[in-house]
Amino acid sequence: MVSLRLVKPLLLLLMGVFLFTRVTSGAIYYYINRFIMLTVLAAAGFVLFAYSYLRQYLDDASAADPHHHHDHHHHHAPQTWLGLLIVTLPFLLGWLVPAQPLGAVAIANREINLGAASGLPSLNAPNADEMMGFFTGEPNILDWLNQFQRSNNPAAFDGQEARVIGFVYRDARFGDDQFLVARFTVSCCVADASPVGLLVRWPDALELPADQWVEVHGRFEAAEFNGMAVPVLVAEQVIRTEQPAQPYLYL
Amino acid sequence: MANKPLLATPARALNSDGRIITRLLIALIFTVVVVGVITRFTTGPLNSRFTTFVTIFLGIFIEAVPFLVAGSAVSGLIEVFVGPNSMARFIPRNPFAAAFVGTLLGFTFPVCECGVVPVTRRLYQKGLPLSVGVAFLLAAPVINPIVLLGTYTAFGWGPVLVGRFAFTILIAFIVGLLFTLARPDEVLLPQTADDLQVAPLSEAAHDHAGHDQAGHDHAHHDHERPSVGVVDRFWRALRIGSEDFMDMARYLIIGSMLAAGMQTVVPQTTLLALGSGPLISVLVMMALAFVLSICSTVDAFLALSFVNTFTTGSILSFLVFGPMVDIKSALMFLSVFRRRVVFYLILLPFALSLLIGVFLNLNVW
Repeated sequence: MVSLRLVKPLLLLLMGVFLFTRVTSGAIYYYINRFIMLTVLAAAGFVLFAYSYLRQYLDDASAADPHHHHDHHHHHAPQTWLGLLIVTLPFLLGWLVPAQPLGAVAIANREINLGAASGLPSLNAPNADEMMGFFTGEPNILDWLNQFQRSNNPAAFDGQEARVIGFVYRDARFGDDQFLVARFTVSCCVADASPVGLLVRWPDALELPADQWVEVHGRFEAAEFNGMAVPVLVAEQVIRTEQPAQPYLYL
Repeated sequence: MANKPLLATPARALNSDGRIITRLLIALIFTVVVVGVITRFTTGPLNSRFTTFVTIFLGIFIEAVPFLVAGSAVSGLIEVFVGPNSMARFIPRNPFAAAFVGTLLGFTFPVCECGVVPVTRRLYQKGLPLSVGVAFLLAAPVINPIVLLGTYTAFGWGPVLVGRFAFTILIAFIVGLLFTLARPDEVLLPQTADDLQVAPLSEAAHDHAGHDQAGHDHAHHDHERPSVGVVDRFWRALRIGSEDFMDMARYLIIGSMLAAGMQTVVPQTTLLALGSGPLISVLVMMALAFVLSICSTVDAFLALSFVNTFTTGSILSFLVFGPMVDIKSALMFLSVFRRRVVFYLILLPFALSLLIGVFLNLNVW
C-alpha cells in the first residue's frame, strides 16, 4: 500500500501548485476580488507544509531505527482514503472543467440591478460620490447605475452618450429588440456576486448569443421595463469583443 | 460510539450512520467527477450550469483556504510552543467571567470563521474550558479588528456596527455559558477529548499511531531539553499544522460544494421576494447568510446592498448569525464536536439571532 506519508505531502504540494497557477494564469480573477496576495501566501504555505512532511520523512529514514519503519504495518481505513480523495476535488475539478467566470446562467436565479428608480434615498454604494469624483476613464455599467439611483429620475439621462462593455443576457421578459449588457459585481468572492446591467435596445438583439461579450455605443432614453422606470441604452453600435481579463466589477 | 468523526473512523468501529455518510460521500465524489468529465468533452445546458457550480465552489474555497492554512499553522505553533494546561492560568475561575473572556479572545487570536476551528480544537487540548472555547468559536469571526474595520467602512458608526458587536458578544456569551454545565466527553469528539487527557498530538486520521506516539515523545523531550533547536520545533509545528489542515480541509471542501450547489440551484429572487415583514425578513436574511457562506470579513459590504429592501433588524441578524453559523463552518464544527452538539451550536445562535432581529424590528425601528 502506498505510504500515506508520501501521499499527503504530494497532495499539499499539488494544492499549492493549483493555487499558484490560478494566479499566474489570471483565472484567479474569476474567483475572488481582493486578497489575491493571500492566495499566493497560501500557495507558499502549502509548499512549507509539504516540506515539513518531507523533512520528517527524511529524518526518520536517516535515523535507521527499525521502530520507525511502521508504515508497512498499518492498515489504512477506507475512510482515510476517502478524506484524501475529497482534498483532491478542488484541483481535480479546477483542472478538469475549463475556468470560466459567472455568466448568463448564474443571472437566471439572481436579482438584477437595472438602476430602476427606487423611490428611496439610495444607501447603496456609499463610495459612489468619491468614485464619480475620481473618474479617470469612462463610466462602466456600475457607475451608470449608481448615477441613476442617486438622481432617481430616469429621464435626467435622456440623450447622454455611453459606451459600456458587458456580456449579453436575455430572458422571457425581454422584447425581440432588447437585451441586457450585464456584468457581475463582486466584493469578496463569487459567492457574493450579484448581477448589474443596462437595458439595451438593438434591432438585431436576437442574433446575439447569451454570454457573448459586447461593446455597446449608444444614447440613453427613459423607458419602462417590467413596470420599472429605467434608462434604456438605445444602441447605435454593438461590437462583439473578447472577454476582459477582469470580468467582474468590484464594489 | 454513536458519534464518531465524520470521515476518519477505522472501518471496524463504523456504525450504520457512518457507513451511510461514507456511501453518500463516495456517490457525491463519483457524480461530481463524472459530470466534470462530461462537461469537459461536451457542450450544452448541463455544461454551463456545472461550470457555474465549479466557479462558485472554487471561489468559496480559494477565498477561505488561506485562512484555514493560517489557522492550522497557528494551531501547530500553539501545540509546540504553548505548554499543556497553560490556558487554564489565563482564564478566570468564575464561569461568567470565563465565558466573557472567551468572547473577546478574538482580539488575541484574530481568525475568521475558517481559521477559528483548528485553533479552538487545539486550545481545547491545551486545557481551555468548554464554555470559553464555544464562546470563542462563535464570537471570534466577528470580534476581531479586521471585521470591526470592515463593518465600520460599510455602515459607519451607528446602530448596525454597535448592534453587530454587542449582540455577537451577547449570544456567544449565553451559548458559552450553557456549556459550563456540560462535560467535555459529552461535547467533544473522542479524538479531541482523548487528546485532552492523554496525548497532546491530535492525529484524526489514525493513520500512523506509532508515529504519533513518537511525535508525542519528542514533544516531551522538547519541554525537558530546550536544546532542541527553534528551527526543528518550527518545522514540527508546521507538520502538525498541515495534519490539522488535511483533517479540516475535507469539511471545508464539502461545505463549499454544498454552498455552491445551493447558490446554483436555489433562486435568490424567490428568497428575496418572500417579503419584508418584521419576522419573514429576518428569517430570509438568516437563511441567506447560511446558504451564501461568505466570509465575515466582507459580509458587511454584501449586507449594504440589502439595506434599501430589508428591515434593519434582518440586516443585523444577517451580520450576527452568518459569521457564527453557515454551511461550511457548521460542517467544520463536526471535526471538533459531537454531532448532537453541532446541532445545538446551530440551533441556539439561530434562535437567539432571530429573537433579537424580530424584537428590534417590532420595538425599536
